[in-house]
Amino acid sequence: MDTVMSEEKLQDVFDQVTREVTEKVAGIRLCEGDASPEEDTCTVHAAFERGFHSSLALCADTAMFTRLTQSMLQEEEVTQQDVEDFTKEYFNVLCGHIASRLFQVTKVASRFEIPAFYNGRYQPEDQKEQFAICYSSDKNEGARLSHFTSDSD
Amino acid sequence: MGKRIMIVDDSRVVEMQMKRMLEDTGYEVVSYCQDGETAIAQYGEVLPDLVTMDIIMPGMDGLETARAILEEHPDARIVMVSSLAYDDTIDEAKSIGTKTFIYKPLDKEQLLATLDEVLGGE
Repeated sequence: MDTVMSEEKLQDVFDQVTREVTEKVAGIRLCEGDASPEEDTCTVHAAFERGFHSSLALCADTAMFTRLTQSMLQEEEVTQQDVEDFTKEYFNVLCGHIASRLFQVTKVASRFEIPAFYNGRYQPEDQKEQFAICYSSDKNEGARLSHFTSDSD
Repeated sequence: MGKRIMIVDDSRVVEMQMKRMLEDTGYEVVSYCQDGETAIAQYGEVLPDLVTMDIIMPGMDGLETARAILEEHPDARIVMVSSLAYDDTIDEAKSIGTKTFIYKPLDKEQLLATLDEVLGGE
């Protein structure tokens, strides 16, 4: 990310916003985890454009995204399409709050693409993971928030 | 009949959430458009009391769409809905003639208070 923020400060912003938004949107509490989700996972990804040239991905146990969808939809029965749509909207809100928080510090206004949803793990081409934050939810679901930057950055 | 609301947002999640929040209130969702081009085409036919407009959408974004609707219909009441809170975006929206901002995630009380404020006294 081409800002004057240190990687440590950037991680703090991402971490704080992710915890706040996840609890506010879905009532799911995240705490620091020590392992990445392994088996039945999904990933939601969005690239920043204008201002920042990087992208964010959240890979999590499918069970966590399903619970998030149930909470947002206030329904027990949800479809795969519901999980995809609600997870994308949750990530849209998350990225918006991150971009707004970064703007407060850097005065760099960025936009981000409409989030994309993938079954399994996803890593954008031509980008490398700069850092990742691992979480464990209040139901022991795993999640990994990754910040990707271009190889040339 | 309640006040008539048009929702413009590429996410059907927002439509579902707003419809639920506006159930049994004095507001009725009469139109949902997933992109700016459709909203511009439909506005004149629907003539809603108020439009809620997402900013980030595929194709025309919400600011461009709001500008186009207001050029054709200067009395249109448009409320921007976004998770982005930049001073320059808010200033641009105001300069176009939109009424106010609602920040995501959506909150029922905030939504109703905003609609009441913009449409109050009518």
